Amino acid sequence: MNLKISNATLLAFVPAILCAQSASAPPDLTGVWGIYRGGPGAEASFRPPAPAPLLLKPEYAKPYEERRAKESAAAQRGEQLDNTSARCIPYGVPTMMSIAVYPIEIIQTPKQVTIISEAFSEVRRVYLDRPQWKIEDVAPGYYGRSVGHFEGDTLVVDTVGIKPTVSGYRGMPHSPQMRVTDRIRMLSPEILHDEITIDDPVVLEKPVTYTLAFKRMPADYEMVEFVCDNNREYVDEKGIVRLKLHDK
Amino acid sequence: MKLLHAFRARLCVVAMGAACLALASPVWAHHSFTMFDMTKRITLTGTITSFEWTNPHAYIEIDVPDEKGTVKHWSIELGSPSILMQSGWKFNTLHAGDKLTLIINPMKSGQNGGFLSQVTLPDGKVLFNGPRQEPPPAPTQK
Repeated sequence: MNLKISNATLLAFVPAILCAQSASAPPDLTGVWGIYRGGPGAEASFRPPAPAPLLLKPEYAKPYEERRAKESAAAQRGEQLDNTSARCIPYGVPTMMSIAVYPIEIIQTPKQVTIISEAFSEVRRVYLDRPQWKIEDVAPGYYGRSVGHFEGDTLVVDTVGIKPTVSGYRGMPHSPQMRVTDRIRMLSPEILHDEITIDDPVVLEKPVTYTLAFKRMPADYEMVEFVCDNNREYVDEKGIVRLKLHDK
Repeated sequence: MKLLHAFRARLCVVAMGAACLALASPVWAHHSFTMFDMTKRITLTGTITSFEWTNPHAYIEIDVPDEKGTVKHWSIELGSPSILMQSGWKFNTLHAGDKLTLIINPMKSGQNGGFLSQVTLPDGKVLFNGPRQEPPPAPTQK
């Protein structure tokens, strides 16, 4: 059979070929992403779903609720109880992904995705070309060890090795067995969601999932350094946070 | 003073700029305002002794003369540099010796400290303590 393919026919296939390539290539998440505010008239699909309820096992739920009640009572008195944040200690995974209005920066390369939070300049390194270790082989820390892979357009990040003293989601306690899964996906070139699932068979009745929404920051935005070198807050002998005032 | 505090949809905290997020997702504030009386606003006029562009918060140190001319010193907390830059501040916006008028939320303890609401610069320009979200109530005079 004598096949004759004209230039026009070939050109007609080029977009299809490019589309096939782009469909198989992972999206580039690189950029600086700020908290997505939504607001009136916002695209409904960009709004993150409501978080799932936090269900702790009874032996953890009781002290957790007692602590929350003490914090609430202190707030009613105009006081704040000691916490790691008052001591300017970084937030760690997963809380660092969503601190007030501070943006995060994502830097994606073929073998690694790096996530930097502007608040406290916290860094997560997500290895794309390595297997995860057993939890007991990871030195407990604020960021643990993260590996990731793409499932279609979604970067799936698996993190273990967060030490129990790192304040958890909504202040929840957690064990060395905690596993955090981020599913990070761009809904549009300007909108990114991070669906975070926390599983801890020791502490949780069932995994808890919540979703963060981000909007791409302007292209000329430059991340601001954050070194906590002027923390005037301190904790007094009663465990209450106070503020140092200067005399002059 | 920086409580891990879950924001809820339409929960607004005025003046810090880290606040007032109409979100359904959990976002943690870096700061609660427990030690400040966010329902009160007072006006201070005085001379800056130092402007500290630092984390986790910037500070204005200011000498404020009272009605009798006696000078009292005040420490005023601001947001972080990152938050302030989102509302037009720079590291060199203020200098020692500048004469300013501040509106602050005072400390509940009655000490000479507070949380900045807004400042009027020597050139008349008004800056807020982060991105503004809603009009503040009228201040009372100190």
